Amino acid sequence: MSFVYYLFSILFLVLISPLVLSFIKSVKMFLLYKKPASLLQGYRNFAKLLQKECIISKESSAITKIAPFLVLSPLVLTLFFLPPIAKESYYIGFVDAFTITGLMSLSTFFLMLLGLDSGNSFGGIGSSREAFISALVEPAMILTIFSISLMANNLGIAKAAINLNAHFPINHMASFTFALISFFILLLAETGRIPVDNPETHLELTMVHEAMILDISGFNLALIEMASSLKFIIFASIFVSLFMPFGLGFGAVFAVPLFFVKVLLVALVVALIETNIAKLRLFKVPNLLGIAIVFAFLSLISFYVLGGGR
Amino acid sequence: MVEFIVPPILIYLATFFKIEKVKIIMPFLAILMFIPVAHTFFKGDISYFDSLFLLDDLGRYVLIASIIVSLSITLALISLDKHVKLSQKAYKNFYRFFAIFWVGLTISILSNSMGVYWIGLETATLSTVYMIKTNSGSFAHKEAWNYMIVGTIAISLILFGIILIYASAKPLLDEDAMKFSLLLANAKEIKNGYLFELGFAFVAVGMFVKMGFFPMNLWLANIERASFYPVAALFSGVLESAIIIGFFRFALIAKEIDYPHLIGFGFVYTILTLFIVSFLIYRVKDFMRLFSLSGVEHMAIMALFWISGAHFAALLHFGAHAFIKPALFISTGVLESGGKYHIAGSLRGYKGLAGKSFVFIVSSLILAIVSLPPSPMFFSELYGFGGMIDLAKRSNHLLLMLTGIAFILLFLSIIFYKFIEVYQSSKYDGVKKEKKVYVSELISLALLAVASLGLLLPPVFRFLNAIG
Amino acid sequence: MIDFFIGLFLANLIVSLFTTRLYRLILWYSLNSLSLGVAALLVGKELNDMPMMIIGGVTIALKGIALPYILKMLSIRFKLERIITPNIKVPYSIILVPAVVVFTFYLTEPIIHMVGGNQNYVALSIAAMFLSLILMLEHKNIAPKIIGFLSIENALFLLGISATGGMPMLIELGIFFDLLMAVVVINLLFKKEEVQNG
Repeated sequence: MSFVYYLFSILFLVLISPLVLSFIKSVKMFLLYKKPASLLQGYRNFAKLLQKECIISKESSAITKIAPFLVLSPLVLTLFFLPPIAKESYYIGFVDAFTITGLMSLSTFFLMLLGLDSGNSFGGIGSSREAFISALVEPAMILTIFSISLMANNLGIAKAAINLNAHFPINHMASFTFALISFFILLLAETGRIPVDNPETHLELTMVHEAMILDISGFNLALIEMASSLKFIIFASIFVSLFMPFGLGFGAVFAVPLFFVKVLLVALVVALIETNIAKLRLFKVPNLLGIAIVFAFLSLISFYVLGGGR
Repeated sequence: MVEFIVPPILIYLATFFKIEKVKIIMPFLAILMFIPVAHTFFKGDISYFDSLFLLDDLGRYVLIASIIVSLSITLALISLDKHVKLSQKAYKNFYRFFAIFWVGLTISILSNSMGVYWIGLETATLSTVYMIKTNSGSFAHKEAWNYMIVGTIAISLILFGIILIYASAKPLLDEDAMKFSLLLANAKEIKNGYLFELGFAFVAVGMFVKMGFFPMNLWLANIERASFYPVAALFSGVLESAIIIGFFRFALIAKEIDYPHLIGFGFVYTILTLFIVSFLIYRVKDFMRLFSLSGVEHMAIMALFWISGAHFAALLHFGAHAFIKPALFISTGVLESGGKYHIAGSLRGYKGLAGKSFVFIVSSLILAIVSLPPSPMFFSELYGFGGMIDLAKRSNHLLLMLTGIAFILLFLSIIFYKFIEVYQSSKYDGVKKEKKVYVSELISLALLAVASLGLLLPPVFRFLNAIG
Repeated sequence: MIDFFIGLFLANLIVSLFTTRLYRLILWYSLNSLSLGVAALLVGKELNDMPMMIIGGVTIALKGIALPYILKMLSIRFKLERIITPNIKVPYSIILVPAVVVFTFYLTEPIIHMVGGNQNYVALSIAAMFLSLILMLEHKNIAPKIIGFLSIENALFLLGISATGGMPMLIELGIFFDLLMAVVVINLLFKKEEVQNG
């Protein structure tokens, strides 16, 4: 029975991912006194792209044909390992921080190759910037997820989420707070949000993620857009399950809407940050990510030092 | 206890009058400081305020030395505005901060509690910052900031170490763990020796930085260059005496806890400092920097002698340095009246009885500071090196320590060479230029010279031996 | 909860090492002092030590609110540089800061059996002192140096409340007196600069 709930939760995550991104866009438009676009716009974009023709550049190699699939598939795989939405949907519990980070990096790697492949210089810019940012994000992500797994007493993040729901780590508050701050900065960095990267820019010299997919169209672009929304929902789901671990035990009927509300809350905070903060200069991004790394490290060290850890 | 603080309060109150008339009275107010000390001279160890303050022989000695030095500084200050440009307000502020400085100094010399010692030291430090500023100009301003920053870092390090030492002794002595006398008496029973040593390391580094050891050698030289000569005299004579007495007291306790660590730490640090200072002195081009770097060297030697157990030598060296160095600084006011970087010929061109006696005193002081007999420095180094060799013989590392001592002698000889060169050049080279000496300066120099000679008297020797 | 506030203390100090704006630095210093004051209050309540609670309250009022305000007024009046770039590049300070923290834990390892104190807090206060020294040394402008000095005082205070289970009142008063004199002297030094330049 839990297998059915498990499959349902994965499908649920896939289905709400365009909705969440449209929600962010609508909130931003609302705050800017514009008429907000419909919340279903993400689905409409996806349907439109599926019908469009795929044009591939002459200079590209076979990578351009296979990369969009390889960008999407690690993320789809990660969906299977995420912490459960409701207690009944818990199925796989052995996956830890390294696997999640590794899968995300695989997806990013193929995206970078895609950007370089068509030989256009903006793609090169995008790929090198993406590499620059990921190099700083990965250590922080591993440290943060490890630290929260230590607090939850289990290295597999699905089991960790369930443990956190049962015993909130009240005597490791310092460590928890640092991990929270660090992970939130990583969420902004990896999903390509302001202050690291502007997802709505049309100026190529300011792009990081968009620059790599300038040359893609049609079905491939649909896959990449899907990947980008899945990435956001994966990060939001991990954040919500690990750092806001309430309400898992209420029963599927209440837990699923509660999860949805929590994800929308995270999306709201991201939208508020995007509206209020300017994008950082590329060479100032290491400052922000440096804080994320040091906080992740601090979270790990204060687990042992300040909370009476083992 | 209050009687010790009355004279500086009187000095502060006197600054509210017109400074031209009042500055003649200041030396007499300084003489008043002798009275409480003389009154309690033969009464042994006196404790005030529930042994928060303790006046023992070491404190008496340092206090008397500091009083003599500040007496001569107040004499020298009478003719300050003839040598440098100074506004009335700056002059007044100078005396005011001097009074606050004296209060802080008295508190730190008399205190038996580590915390009170620190408060006095910190008052003294922060009040001297402004004294550097009395010299106008952007160099002085920059150096005042530098002094403020490094000085406060050093003071904070000292407090940090004091808290750690207190923490190490608290299980044993409870609230009384702040008192030097009780710490010394119960040193062997302190269980957490490592914590004490950590604290002592912080305290020692803070004090060394304040005295201008590695890596802050040039910091002190630049500060003393940027300020007026009485301020530099104050630093080298009086402020450093407050710091070194603290170091003496802390080192006595550290000796009981772990002597080999103390020796290793002290020797390495001071030899490194002497290495750098000797080469800096070799390249120096003006009097102020020469004297302030030489001051650093003497402080290093004092610390070294004390750690090696030659207490008598360290105290004699301290007294001699405290008298001779301020005298030299006061004389730079006159020596540099021909220009800052003109060492050559600065001892030529003095006329009349005042001029000739000035030249005699200053040349003998320059030769005395490099330990030529019959200066007290000579005797102190004799006993001091003897003490160090005794220590080397008792220890298991005879060859290592003798090598260290040989290096120290090498560095001292570089300094000796430079001083002799300066003396020769100022006496026999250069252009003869007319220079004027004022009576007040002459009196202050004579006072200090006589005091340093007075250190050679047998009763003084006996007194110092008793302290050690 | 004491652990949480001491952790916040350290976190605020570390963030102030990475920031490049003066008013932001003053804000982090203020949060630093606030978390330290709250920690002092909690420790005082646990040890039933009234003087420590009073000092904790004074810290919150003075160092958390009044002093940052004074610093901001001073920086407006004397037109201090508002952009402060550290001399150590970010990748190196990412390595340096954790290295310093781990090193101080290594340094204080032998005192793990301290009586009447907590070894970790002592180590954290030594780490805070070293980090404040780095803050002082890594900027060229005057204002971060002043804030670095004030953070050293905070580290001292943390050591005082954690190492010994209560310092004599005299010492804590001495720290405040030190702060007071330092602010007076700073004001004096700035004033003269104004007079000279203006």
